[in-house]
Amino acid sequence: MSLAILDAREWQQVVDLRTGRPLEAQGAVVDMVGALVDRHPFPGDRDNQSNDWVTDTALDLIAQYDPRFAFLSFSEQYYSWRYSPLTEAERQQRVDGAFAAVERFAQASGFTVVVVGTGDLVPAAVPVDLEGLDGLAVSSNWCAHYAGLYDLSDRDRALLAAHPGLERVVSRQDIMTLFDGRPGDEERLPESMAVTREGHFFKGTSLRRLYMIPQPSAVVPVSRNLGPVGSVTDIRAALLKLLETQKVALAFVEGVGCADFRLPHTACANGRGWFAYEPGDGQFLAISQGKHSIFEHNGGYRYYQDDTDSKPYPYSGFFTEIPSGTIGQAIPGRSIAVGNRSMFMHVLTGCDVTCECFARNLYNQGVMAVVHRQDKA
Amino acid sequence: MVRCGYCERRCPLGPESYGYCRMYYAPDGRVEERFPDKWCAHATARIETIPFYHAWPGARCLVVGTAGCNFDCRYCANAEVVKVDPAQQQDVMLDMAPEVLVATARKRDCRAIVFSINEPTVSLPTLERVAVAAREAGLVMGCLTNGYATPEATARLGAIFSCVNVSLKGLAPQFCQTYLGVPDAGPILRNIEALARLTHLEVTTPVIEGVNSHELGEMAAFLADVSPDIPWHAFRLLPEYKMRKEDYPSIESVGALVEGAGEKLRYVYFHNFIGSRWVNTDCPHCGAAVIERHSLGCGGDRLEAFHLIGHACPHCGGRVALRGFHESATAKETAA
Ligand code: SF4
Repeated sequence: MSLAILDAREWQQVVDLRTGRPLEAQGAVVDMVGALVDRHPFPGDRDNQSNDWVTDTALDLIAQYDPRFAFLSFSEQYYSWRYSPLTEAERQQRVDGAFAAVERFAQASGFTVVVVGTGDLVPAAVPVDLEGLDGLAVSSNWCAHYAGLYDLSDRDRALLAAHPGLERVVSRQDIMTLFDGRPGDEERLPESMAVTREGHFFKGTSLRRLYMIPQPSAVVPVSRNLGPVGSVTDIRAALLKLLETQKVALAFVEGVGCADFRLPHTACANGRGWFAYEPGDGQFLAISQGKHSIFEHNGGYRYYQDDTDSKPYPYSGFFTEIPSGTIGQAIPGRSIAVGNRSMFMHVLTGCDVTCECFARNLYNQGVMAVVHRQDKA
Repeated sequence: MVRCGYCERRCPLGPESYGYCRMYYAPDGRVEERFPDKWCAHATARIETIPFYHAWPGARCLVVGTAGCNFDCRYCANAEVVKVDPAQQQDVMLDMAPEVLVATARKRDCRAIVFSINEPTVSLPTLERVAVAAREAGLVMGCLTNGYATPEATARLGAIFSCVNVSLKGLAPQFCQTYLGVPDAGPILRNIEALARLTHLEVTTPVIEGVNSHELGEMAAFLADVSPDIPWHAFRLLPEYKMRKEDYPSIESVGALVEGAGEKLRYVYFHNFIGSRWVNTDCPHCGAAVIERHSLGCGGDRLEAFHLIGHACPHCGGRVALRGFHESATAKETAA
């Protein structure tokens, strides 16, 4: 059974991850992780200590648990750029800060750290409003670039075809063809998907003003110490190879593309054809599983349909099962994940122990740790 | 100049005088909205997230907001929307006529439209027009408000909203002046009494340890006098805006204070943090847990299990205060 430790600062509950119900059952690893997250309260998504929180928490966890693999996300700069009006100098300062946190981790842990930049952000210039359609347009809180379209009328199709803010509208079948979908794969795809032009964004459900938005990059940087990789889906196999001889960490520096990447790197494909991943959970999943997971996770899915009375996994967004084949599951040795990019590390990495910020819409609720496994020697 | 009659600030308005909230003016000697039908965002959520725990449990809602506010709370969680001049936000506002908003709610299979991001009093004419369209479509409307409307505007709020959650933030004038930017809580208390007569009412108190926590008993006693059936939500305040650097309240000690203060009320909750154990409804007659919930903090409350038969406890048959019936959210949408 997977357990979640919910830490709201000086107050913890251990619950069954699947049901959310409190549990008395604990164990040495749960006790250790509970004490660890108590020592490391989350400072907040846009706090300038946030990336250091990742490094400090990961180093502490390594000291306690001695893993062979660590999956890390450094995301403070991503949130700050999206929601704060920063100058270019301030922006560069935050890139430097993120790489400094990665470097400090590498020095102190002794791990070989493979760094991935998840792609560029560009200024949010033009909001795209599809509210007047006869049909329905759905984009999620974090998705700026893709919207799912449902029940379109002929009038809608004509409007969308002439819309100056859209780069393209693609059908479900086009997505199936692009990603070699098999029958049944289309279940979670929207009927069509609208894709914005650069600088344009679907406002979605976000309350806050957007200053920068992800511009899905055709290629993203991967530090050269991994060896040659042609696509984000190749990272997993190359990492597993590296892990045969050394302790390895995979560190995501969010919102950074090739131009701002501070290390020697390879530019590798970040999608297929017209589709490129925005920084976020879909991209994490593709890298973790080593395959394109767009049928499980795409911008424009009607996420709220999964919020039913019987939905398990209260902490896992619209997932109803923890995805299989993730990198943590493929590693025989111990693995950890630590990140300040929302509550999806435990879902997408499959690592034995994860510590992630529990923040909702940038509101800092604390930390969640998930213990998937306590049985690894 | 004419006086605005929407809230107790009663600002003087003219063609270019927009009042404290900057949402009204009087171009021709009559008070008008500056930005009708403009929405800052909409999202699909369950009614527990507002929070409403005793109205249409489990109902899927279209949550909406506009811009502007008539308060200046030091800890405002939505400051990035409500503290910015509404005129400067119009470039990213959604423009949705009442019929479009209602159609969107229906397309998302929502039971209700709930106004909960800023203060409804600053957009009341727009909300009244939405209410007409919502009623025709069979949707209910709810809102979260600071309760500082005039008696006339309160009556209008009570007429269009089937459920209202008033934020009772504090009682002492000193607190109201320092933390909310208004002289005193008198109008809010008056309006709580009025709304309890007009519609389904729940009350939320954001608790700041050491600042308003000593007033919890007095607040609970006031509410119990109005009606012991009013559900009372004590909220662990997350320090935001001008209080961002301040300490987080202790859950154990505030929880104990709330439990003690709320003894005269039948339904007392303490949440706004992950894993709260104070979110279930117990039958006031036999003590059985009759509605179970799960708190994910900040707008993430979920209905877990609903055991009532209609409004009655399945164990003792006693009545539990509830407006509407359980809405079982399904994965399927209906055609609009
Ligand atoms: S609603 Fe706005 S304009 Fe009217 S009195 Fe209140 S603050 Fe002033």
